[in-house]
Amino acid sequence: MKFHSTCDGVRRRDMLKAGVLTVGGLSLSNYMQMANAGQIQPGRADRAIFIELSGGPSHLDMFDMKPDAPEEIRGAFKPISTNVSGIQISEHLPKLAGCADKYAILRGVSHTLAAHQLGREYVNTGSKPLPSLEYPGYGSVLSKERPSDADIPSQVAIPRAGHGPGFLGIRYAALETNSAPQLGQPYSVRGISLAGGIGVDEVKRRQGLLKKLDRRFAELEKDDQLLEGLDQFGEQAYSMITSSRARDAFDISKEPESFAKQFGEDSFGQSCLLAMRLVESGVRLVSVQLGGWDTHQDNFKKLKTSNLPKLDAGLSGLLIGLEQRGLLDSTAVFVTGEFGRTPKINNRSADGGRDHYPRCMFMLMAGGAVRGGQVIGESDATAAGPLHEGFSPDDVAASFYYNLGIDPTLEYDSNTGRPITLVRNGNVIKSLFV
Amino acid sequence: MIRIGTKPTFCIVVAMCVLLLGQLGAPVSAEPAKISTPKPTDTNTKTLAPLRERFQSADVTEAPDFQKHVVPLLGRLGCNGRACHGSFQGRGGFQLSLFGYDFKSDHAALHEENCGRVDVDDIDESLILVKPLDADMHDGGKRFDKGSWQHHVLRKWIASGAEFNPNKMHLLEKLEVIPTEISFSKQRETVQLTATAHWQDGTMEDVTQLCRFSTNDESIAAIDELGEVTSGEKGDTHVVVYYDNAVVPIPVLRPIGPKRYAASEATTAIDRLVLEKLDKLGVAPSDVCTDAEFLRRVSLDMTGVLPAADFVREFLADTSPNKRATLVDELLDSPAYAAWWATRMSDWTGNSDAQLNNALPVRGAASRLWHEWLRVRIDQNMPYDQIVQGIVEAKSRQEGESYLEYCEAMTEACQRGNENLFAERDGLPLYWARRNFQKPEDRAIGFAYAFLGVRIECAQCHKHPFDRWSKNDFDKFSKLFTTVRASQNGIGADAKEQRNELIKQVTDGKKLDNGELRRAIYRAAAQGETVPFGELFVVKQRTVNKTLLEKRKKLIAKAKQNGKKVAPLPIPSGHILGESTAVPLSTDPRPALMQWLRSETNPFFAKAIVNRVWANYFGIGIVDPTDDMNMANPPSNTPLLDFLAKQFIHQKFDLKWLHREIVLSATYQRSAEPNETNRHDRVNFARHVPRRLPAEVVYDAVVLATGSDDKASQLRNEVDQMAIAEGLAQNRNKRDFAMEVFGQSIRESNCDCDRSDSPSLLQAIYLRNDADMHRRLSSDDGWVAQACESLGVDAPSNRIDPKKVATLRAANGLRKQILTKVRQFNQIPKVRQANTMPKVQREYQRAKSKFNQFGFDIPPLKKLLTNPNSWQKVELAKQDSEKATMTIDAVIEEAYMRTLSRFPDREETAIATDYIDTSTSKSDAVQSLLWALVNTKEFIITH
Repeated sequence: MKFHSTCDGVRRRDMLKAGVLTVGGLSLSNYMQMANAGQIQPGRADRAIFIELSGGPSHLDMFDMKPDAPEEIRGAFKPISTNVSGIQISEHLPKLAGCADKYAILRGVSHTLAAHQLGREYVNTGSKPLPSLEYPGYGSVLSKERPSDADIPSQVAIPRAGHGPGFLGIRYAALETNSAPQLGQPYSVRGISLAGGIGVDEVKRRQGLLKKLDRRFAELEKDDQLLEGLDQFGEQAYSMITSSRARDAFDISKEPESFAKQFGEDSFGQSCLLAMRLVESGVRLVSVQLGGWDTHQDNFKKLKTSNLPKLDAGLSGLLIGLEQRGLLDSTAVFVTGEFGRTPKINNRSADGGRDHYPRCMFMLMAGGAVRGGQVIGESDATAAGPLHEGFSPDDVAASFYYNLGIDPTLEYDSNTGRPITLVRNGNVIKSLFV
Repeated sequence: MIRIGTKPTFCIVVAMCVLLLGQLGAPVSAEPAKISTPKPTDTNTKTLAPLRERFQSADVTEAPDFQKHVVPLLGRLGCNGRACHGSFQGRGGFQLSLFGYDFKSDHAALHEENCGRVDVDDIDESLILVKPLDADMHDGGKRFDKGSWQHHVLRKWIASGAEFNPNKMHLLEKLEVIPTEISFSKQRETVQLTATAHWQDGTMEDVTQLCRFSTNDESIAAIDELGEVTSGEKGDTHVVVYYDNAVVPIPVLRPIGPKRYAASEATTAIDRLVLEKLDKLGVAPSDVCTDAEFLRRVSLDMTGVLPAADFVREFLADTSPNKRATLVDELLDSPAYAAWWATRMSDWTGNSDAQLNNALPVRGAASRLWHEWLRVRIDQNMPYDQIVQGIVEAKSRQEGESYLEYCEAMTEACQRGNENLFAERDGLPLYWARRNFQKPEDRAIGFAYAFLGVRIECAQCHKHPFDRWSKNDFDKFSKLFTTVRASQNGIGADAKEQRNELIKQVTDGKKLDNGELRRAIYRAAAQGETVPFGELFVVKQRTVNKTLLEKRKKLIAKAKQNGKKVAPLPIPSGHILGESTAVPLSTDPRPALMQWLRSETNPFFAKAIVNRVWANYFGIGIVDPTDDMNMANPPSNTPLLDFLAKQFIHQKFDLKWLHREIVLSATYQRSAEPNETNRHDRVNFARHVPRRLPAEVVYDAVVLATGSDDKASQLRNEVDQMAIAEGLAQNRNKRDFAMEVFGQSIRESNCDCDRSDSPSLLQAIYLRNDADMHRRLSSDDGWVAQACESLGVDAPSNRIDPKKVATLRAANGLRKQILTKVRQFNQIPKVRQANTMPKVQREYQRAKSKFNQFGFDIPPLKKLLTNPNSWQKVELAKQDSEKATMTIDAVIEEAYMRTLSRFPDREETAIATDYIDTSTSKSDAVQSLLWALVNTKEFIITH
C-alpha cells in the first residue's frame, strides 16, 4: 500500500495511485465507498451555483448605493425600491428589485488584495492566496464531499472554471464547457456531446469492439487497482456519453422558449438557464462567469448598456426559475466579484471610471437556508469601507459551505501532507440563515 | 467507553484488559516468531523500571519530569493528537503542540492564567486531572481511571510544583528498541516491543509505555498503542517507534514462500541485491519479458516516445544477441532522451511558468529557457552534480560581463529560437527568481525537496513527526537562504547607472509608474531593443533591522562617553540541514551548500536522484514517495539504494551510467506476468508492475499512434514539437487541456505528487469522445486516412507513399544527429579525442547499418571527420507515384504495431477483421479499430 505521510502523523492511503496494492489491501470499491461517504453534515442545500462577476463590479452603482454622497462619489445612477421594504438597489436592476425577497445582500465585505488574479483566488476559495499552496475551489470541495451519480459530472464550469481543484488534485476538477450556450441553439460540450458525425449506435458498436479487444490484462485486473480504476472510469465515461441524462441536461433547447427567455436572450442568461438545468439533473456545483466589470473607463455607460441588464435578467431569471422548479431550497447560490470599485470617480474618460477597490464590496447569497429579503452588514457614508467590523471573503465562504452542510473548519491534508483548514479564518455569518 | 473511527482509541480500560490478558498468557504459537535481540548495550547501568511500576501507588516520592514523562504521557493519552488539543485551533480553548515537541509552549498552555488546567494549590481540581477522569465533562471522553499510574504521574507532577526549565533540556542519546527485527511465520502472532531511553547523563529508563507507535502497512503488521506487533498478511514492512526526538523503524517480515537461493546466480549487482531480498521473502521473480515488451517499455520509460511500427518490426527481426544493450545505447543518444529528462528534471527543480511570471521582462520565455538549459546539459551528459552546481551557485552574469552586456545577451536569448544562447550561460538564476521561492522558509522547503528528496515543511511549525528535524533545525537551515536576492528589478550595486540608462531609452525619458514601465519594457523587448533585466545578487550580511540599529547607536555613543568599546555584532549565520557548523553569511553561502551536496558523505543528494530515476523505471521508489526520505519511511531495500548512490558518486554522477545500469538489469526486464509468490508484491521489484503513462507521454503517444507515418516521423525526428520536450504551443496562463487532465506536473508545491499518474473520469472521457480525438482520427494527415488510401478506400490520389517519406525523414534525422556528434568531436582538444573515438565509431556503425536498411548510402567516417559538410541531405529517387496497396490483415497489423507495439494474435485479427467486414463503411471501421486500440488499457499503461 502506498502512503503519503502527513504532518499530523496520520498516513494517508493514496489508493488510486499506480503501484498501490499489497495483500489484503482495501479494494477499489471499498475505497470508493469510503470516499463517497464524505464528511457531510446535514444542511439544507446539497448543490450550488456560483456566479463570478470577474473584473470587480462597482458596489456603489449596484447593491450599495449612496444617493446622499457627493456627486463625485454617488455617480449617475439612482436607487429604486425593491419588493422588500427598506431595501434599495440600482435603477438598472429592475428585475432583481422585483425579487429581492429571494436573496440576501451582503454589504461592507472587505479585504486587501487589489490585483485581479489574487482577488479571484481569494473569493473562489475563501482563503487568502499563498504562493506555496493552492486552495481548492468550492466546486472541487463539493465534488469530494458530495460526489454525484456516475453518469453526470459532479462539477461544471460555464464556460471555464475561475479556479482549479488546488491541492485536492485533478480528480476534482470541473468539466469545462469552453463555450456559453445561445438561446434556442443546439449546444455541444467537450467530451459529452457526440462529435464527428458519430451517433450513439456507432459509439455502442465501438464500445463492443473495445470490450472484445481490451482483454490482455483481464487476468491481472482483479489484483491491480490501476487496471480496475481504468476500467471503472472507462465504464463511467461510456455511460455518461451514451446515457441521455447528461446530454439532455446540457440541451437548453429542451426548455420552452417563453421560459428560456425570462433568463434574458444573451449568453449569460442562457448560461444561468443551463446552470439551473444542470443542478436539476444532479450536478453538484455549476459555476458561471460574467466578465466585463473592470470599468476603469466609461463605468456608467458600460454598466447601463451591457453589464447590468445582463445580470438583471440572468440572475432574476435564475432565482425565479429555481423557485418555480422547487430547487431554491436545495440550491445554494453565491454571487461575487473579486473586489469593489473606488468610491471616487476618476476622470480619465468622458463618462468617468472607477478603479480596483477591495476595501469595500458587495456579495449576494440565496437558496438553501439563506433568508432572502435582507441586507447584512453596512458600509460607511461613502461606501469606502465597512461601517462596523464588516465581513471578510473568508466569512462569506464559511457561510456558503455551512449552507451546503460542509464544516468550514474541516481539515484536509495538502498534497504534501500539511494539515490545512478548509476556510482558514472564516466565521459563519449566522444572521444570513433562517 | 470505546471509541472507534475518527477519534483516537486510546482508552485505558481496553489497555488494561490487554495487559491483563498478557499476564494470563499470550496466545500460544507453535512456531514462535523469530526475533532478533541484541545484547543489552550496558549491563552495568541499571535501567529505571517503567512509570507503570514506579507510580503504582499514590504516595510515591519521585517527581515526574515534564519532558521525559508528562508530555509523552499526554501524547500517549491522545491529548496532543490532531483531532484533539493538537489541532491548529486547539479544542475547548486548550491547545497543545502537535506531538508535544514544543515543551515551552505546552508548559505555558498548561499554566495559562485563570485557565485552571494546572492548579498547584488545589491539585485535584486541576482540569488536566478532572477532565480526563470524567467522560461527561470531557469531549474527548474518559482517558484514565482514578488511581491509575497515569493519574498518579500527572498528579504527582502538579504536586511537585508543575515545573519545567527550558534551559535544562535532557538530551536523548539513543532510543533502543528490542527486538531490532521481527520475522513472523503465520497470522496473528504477536511480539511486544520494548523501548529504552538512553539519556546523555547516563540514565536509562524503560519508556515503552510513553512511546508513540505506527506501522507502515497495517495489513502486514499491526501495532497497538502499547507496542505490541501483530502479524497479518504475508509481506514485509516496518513498524516505527517514536519517543522524544527519536524515530526508530523496526523491519517486520513474514515470508511469502520458502526461502530461496537465487541471488548467487545474479549477473548484475542490482539483480543480486534485489534477489537477496526476494530470497529472504521467499518470492520468485517473474521471467524476463519479451523483446516486444522490452522495446515498448524502455522506449517509453527512457525517452517518452512510442516506438514506430517499422522500428518495432526491425527490432523483433534483429537476431544479434546484444540487441537490447544496443537499443539502450541508441535511446540514450537520441534527442528524445535529453528532452524528456529535461522535462522530468524541470519537475523536480520547479520550472513553473506561472511562478516565473515577471521573472524576465519578456513574457513566456522563462520556462522555455529553463528547459533548454537543462536539455543541453543532459544531452552532453554533464555530471549531475555539475548541473546542480549551475543551479545552486547560479549567477546572472558570466565571468567579466558588464550589466549592459548581460542585458544585451539576455534580450537576445529571450527571442524565440534563441534558447540555446541561454543554455550556453553557466548558471540558472531563474531557479532563485520564482515567486514561490523568495521567502527563506519557502526556499528551505523547496531546496530540500529538489535536491535532497526530503520534506522538511512539517518542521516549520512543529517537530517533524517522522524525522529528527525540529523547528530549530528548520529555522537555522532557512537562515542560509536569507542573503540571496533574485527579483524582477533587483540589480547589483554596480549596475544602477546602466540600468537607468536602459530605462531612459525604453521610456524616452518619460516618468512612468510601475505597471506602465513594465508594459513599456515588454513592448521594447518584443521589438528587439535591449531592455533592463533583474539579476541575482547576494547581500553580504542580512540588514539589521532599524530599531536594533538605533539601539546600537545609542549604546556605542554611551560606551564612547565612558571610554569603553561595544563588542562587534555577531556575523549572522545559517546551518546546513543537520550539520552543526555554522555557515557565516558574510559571504555567499551557496558554494558551501554545494560542497556539502556533492560530498561523498552527504546522506541525501545522490540517493534522492538515484531514487527518482529508479522510480521512473519502476513506478515506485526504493524509498517511496520519492521525495519523502525520512527516518520513519526507510528504503524497501537499503543495500540496493546504498549501492546505487555510492556507485553513482563513484562514477562521477554520470546519469547515463545510472540509466544503463538500471535498464540492463534483469530486474527492470521482468515480465508483467505474475507467479504465485510475487502476484501481490509491489515494493520489491519482483515483476513488472503496470503504470499509467505520464501526461506528456500519453499526449505524444496518441498523436503518434493516430498520425500518418509522415507526420509521426517528423515529430519523432525533430522532437522539439512534442509534449515530452515541452514543445506544445501554450496560451498564457492556460495549459493544454489534455495535459492538465492527464496530470502534468504543475511544479508549484514542492512535491513529486504535483505530477499525477492516477486515472480519472475526465481522462476516460477525453480519450473516448473529445473533439481532439475525433479530429485526430479523421484528419487528412492522420493514419486512418493513410490506411484507407492503402486499402483503396476513399483514396485521394497522387500522394507520395507516406512510408517512403517517413524513411527519408528518419534517415535525415539520423544524419543530422551524426553530423552534430562529428562536429562536437572535432571541437574537443586533440588529446581527448582518442578517448572519445570508440564512442563515435560505435554511433557511426549503428547509423551505417540503419542506412543500409533504409537503402541509402553513407560516406565513410574518415571523410565525415575531415569534412562534415560533404554529406548532403538524403533525397528520394524519382519514382512513379504508384498506388500502394495493403490487405485488411496488413492494416490491422499496422494498427497494432503503431499503438501497442506488437503483432496482433490470431484471435484479435479475427475480431478486427469481422468488425471491418460487417461495417457498412470501411473507413469508419478502420477509424473505430484505431479508436478502440487507443482506448485499451494496454495502450495507456506500461507493460
